[in-house]
Amino acid sequence: MTARWSGPAFGLVAAMLVAGSAAAQRLDPRLERLDSSARPIVAALVDSARAAALPTEPLVQRALEGATKRAPAERIVAAVRRLALDLGHARDALGPTASPTELGAAAAALRAGAPPATLTELRRIRRESLTVPLAVLTDLVGSGVPVDSAAAAVLSLAAKARDADLVEFRRAVERDIALGAPPASATATAAAVAAAAVQVNAGARQQRPGRP
Amino acid sequence: MGARAPAAQTTGTIDVGVSSVRYDGFLPSAAASVSPALQWERPAGILTARGTYLRFESGHRSLQALVAGSFLIRPAEHRWRGELGGSLGASRYLDFASFWHATADARLLRLGADRGIWIGGTAGRTSYGRAARPVTGAGIGAWMQRSQVMVGGSATRSFVGDTAYSDVVATAHTRRGSLAIDASLGARFASRGGGRGVFGEASATIAVGERTVLFLAGGRYPTDPVSGSVAGRYVSGGVRLRLARPARLTTRTAMPSASRQGTPADGDPVVGVRLEVLPRPDGLVRLVLYVASMSAAGVELAGDFTDWQPLKLRRSAEGMWETVLAIPSGVHRLNVRIDGGGWIVPAGLTRAADDFGDEVGIMTVP
Repeated sequence: MTARWSGPAFGLVAAMLVAGSAAAQRLDPRLERLDSSARPIVAALVDSARAAALPTEPLVQRALEGATKRAPAERIVAAVRRLALDLGHARDALGPTASPTELGAAAAALRAGAPPATLTELRRIRRESLTVPLAVLTDLVGSGVPVDSAAAAVLSLAAKARDADLVEFRRAVERDIALGAPPASATATAAAVAAAAVQVNAGARQQRPGRP
Repeated sequence: MGARAPAAQTTGTIDVGVSSVRYDGFLPSAAASVSPALQWERPAGILTARGTYLRFESGHRSLQALVAGSFLIRPAEHRWRGELGGSLGASRYLDFASFWHATADARLLRLGADRGIWIGGTAGRTSYGRAARPVTGAGIGAWMQRSQVMVGGSATRSFVGDTAYSDVVATAHTRRGSLAIDASLGARFASRGGGRGVFGEASATIAVGERTVLFLAGGRYPTDPVSGSVAGRYVSGGVRLRLARPARLTTRTAMPSASRQGTPADGDPVVGVRLEVLPRPDGLVRLVLYVASMSAAGVELAGDFTDWQPLKLRRSAEGMWETVLAIPSGVHRLNVRIDGGGWIVPAGLTRAADDFGDEVGIMTVP
């Protein structure tokens, strides 16, 4: 469902979908808040996502976010379309068994720059839900951690760590960044398997504060 | 995973603190200190520059400066790695006591997943206001991580001119959430002119924001004939401020703002507005927003768990606004606004480009 939707063809497809499916699918009443020019296209995108068995709630929420922020109609449509593509890519990476919350988290991770291969690897090594590991990955990248470093750290922990452990790991990284550690270093240090990072280059690392 | 090497990252900090210190052979004294530091780091190397200005209650001043670097000379995929480092520093107390030192280090490390060992040597020169003296030393060390605690130990033998001494030191480091504790215990022995005895220090740091860490430290440290510091006991407290936020990789090219109308907190939302997300045992989530501006008359929150309908928060105390909601587990997006201003991202959340020319906060509910 991805490349076919991009470009000028999208508008035509959307218009056809609007005409064809309007009667079949009742408009989500929350979309009444959208501008009249954005509403039918967003509704068509939602319907198409539903037909493709993708979660639709994230699309509705993204449109509502744009409406609340008084974004222009074309920008709302573009944002919903981009998210639909990301959700499709996320499902490609995670497989058809991914839950809607996992797909939403994976779409955010992809948007942050995580490689699809990282998502696939996460699915392979972790039996539990991927929602929190993906959220931590997105959080780390948002904090300035290079994508490769963040992905390596989350992958190293994801096989055995519980969700609470991953949240704790994220807090530890946040704390070290606040302490002045470069984000990449803070991430490597906080991952238990990378404990050596604080010993290597030890002479030049920043001192703990306090000694006069 | 791609093979792209992360770019170098640079961070700056400044420590501001007060101390009570008693150097061996001197009377106790209070002191205030300011220590700026700049650190540049790549996966294979690190370079640090830092300075310290110390003012004692007598009015006397001490200045210290240090530039230190260290670089690995074998790639990361090898368990054995070589490391080369160097340190260049100077200090001055009043107008008469001036030190400088220049040393180089070489270490060989064997790195395991949660443990490692190293062996290394040091050579250089140091001076105390007269002819420089040679510095040589050798050491061996090991470390190991167990759960939340990392312990390490080292033994070194050092020669500074006619002075010689041996140190054995054990260290421990642990952290829980925003709190970290470091401790060390050591002994100096087989000493000729370097003092002897037991020494130990402990420090605690707690992060209170994205850029702020409080610290408390104390203990006794030995004389360092290389850098010129005199043995002493101390208690210190203060704050470390991170000077700049690292580049946020999620930020897209700036686009015209869709909602920005300007608020007192606009421009740097990290300052003055902070959100805490507190899951409750009953499954509900308590959202508490701290707003530094006491003049705020109304605070609203909107997110994908409110259908992006602005929700007024209840004022529970001066500068504190909150609500309790049923928020499903997962990743959520939200913004807040003050007195009907623009939608902003409070500190405490990860910021990301929102597709509409502004930013949105990302919140994870376990």
